[in-house]
Amino acid sequence: MQRALLAALALSVTGGLLGTWIVLRRLAFFAHAAGSATFPGLVVAGPWGIAAPLAALAAGLSFAGLLARITRRGATSTNAATGLLLAGALALGIVLASDVYESGAGVDRLLFGTLLGLSDADLWLAAAVAASAIAATAALGRTWLATGFDPAAARSLGVPAARGDGLLLALLAVSVVATLPAVGALLVSALLVVPAATARLLTASIGTLLATSVVLAVGESVTGLLLAFHLDLPPGPAIAIVGGGVFALAALATAAPRRPRARSIA
Amino acid sequence: MIAATRIETRGLAASYGTSPPALSGVTFAVQAGQAVAVLGPNGGGKTTLFRALLGEISVVAGTLTIGAATAYVPQTERSRLDFPVSALDVALMGAYARTSWYRRVTSADRATARAALARVGLSEQARTRFGELSGGQRQRVLIARALVQDAEVLLLDEPFGGVDQSSEQAIMGILDDLRDEGRVLLIATHDVEQARRWDRVLCLRGEQIAYGPPAETLTNAVLQDTYGAEIVMLDCGHRAVAIQHHHH
Repeated sequence: MQRALLAALALSVTGGLLGTWIVLRRLAFFAHAAGSATFPGLVVAGPWGIAAPLAALAAGLSFAGLLARITRRGATSTNAATGLLLAGALALGIVLASDVYESGAGVDRLLFGTLLGLSDADLWLAAAVAASAIAATAALGRTWLATGFDPAAARSLGVPAARGDGLLLALLAVSVVATLPAVGALLVSALLVVPAATARLLTASIGTLLATSVVLAVGESVTGLLLAFHLDLPPGPAIAIVGGGVFALAALATAAPRRPRARSIA
Repeated sequence: MIAATRIETRGLAASYGTSPPALSGVTFAVQAGQAVAVLGPNGGGKTTLFRALLGEISVVAGTLTIGAATAYVPQTERSRLDFPVSALDVALMGAYARTSWYRRVTSADRATARAALARVGLSEQARTRFGELSGGQRQRVLIARALVQDAEVLLLDEPFGGVDQSSEQAIMGILDDLRDEGRVLLIATHDVEQARRWDRVLCLRGEQIAYGPPAETLTNAVLQDTYGAEIVMLDCGHRAVAIQHHHH
């Protein structure tokens, strides 16, 4: 349980920080798709004698790299390219799993996750990715903010827009892989999207958004983990349900009619 | 005194990647303290010219010389209005290029950003969320950001698009001041009457049609070549209206 709590804290820091950029940059579908797109990597990991996280990482980075390449010229939208690659990755994984190799229990574990049964390697990976998310937000936060706010002017502002975007997608792919053992490929959004989406409803500045997102991610993952432990539930779905409930409450609270603010005309 | 040349192009052609040039045959020079209207239809090459001047796309023929720091002021519709940033946050983006990745924006740059917002008449709105400002106020915030960049050349992309008349007058006054202190302004527009107001006009339609003082350059023949069937002449040829087809 102690190991699960440590992992939940590390993954919550990652989810809170990167989730903020995922939500602001409208990459929620990408984050979900990157998790599911690791499927073919997980299928071939066992038969090829590769560590499952490494195979998932290769699949996730390939997904991010192909997406960046397809969308570079602007002719294909990010959503359309993500859907295209997601369908391709799932189809490849299904063919490999059903006709070429037999999928083992390891694949099931990574598809559905088990926060209460993590290895030391899983824990170290979660800690390393959390440290990377903190460092990247400190170093690249301004670049990600300027590029997301005003893509047309980002380069003229002197920020490394293209490099920043590439690093963001790569870091998201790595974070997805670190999150897989805990909540599974199908529920990575519970940590990488839901807390930040909830914080987005409650805050109006980038600093408070980052902080609120981390606090919510920690609260939701620890609460979900405790519920799973005491009620004998799978941890990933328990965290997702808590996150969904908090989002619903925040949406209801912020949907209450407010007094309209004066708006200047000039 | 001879004013310094800030921008000079000779036979400039620019293209996106390996595609054929989107703009070609552009030859003009702009001195410090001049404002140039860049006039043309949608797809005529105004944005392509700006991107070439910013070094964002390849110059595939001719030469291009820019002797000063350059800032781009986009249309406000291109910005994300739902982003959690205030007017001050946006103005501060102009200081990002001179801020090391491991440092916070300095208090001196904060003071510069506040002064830039004051200069465009938005001191009171510094803490207001960018998306809550009117179109004219947003445009002024983006001009303030260019001032924080300390740019001597400003490339303004349709700065009067979607703003009301009083905001247009306010923005016009700010641009006059910037020009008077020696900055170079290139103002992309499809408004022929607006173009007559500036020192020079550059007419583009995939290539350069004409360049010079508006009174000599904006002849009926040049406008017909620039806009083709999209131009309507009024008042026996003394006024011209460009019919724009907006792409959604």
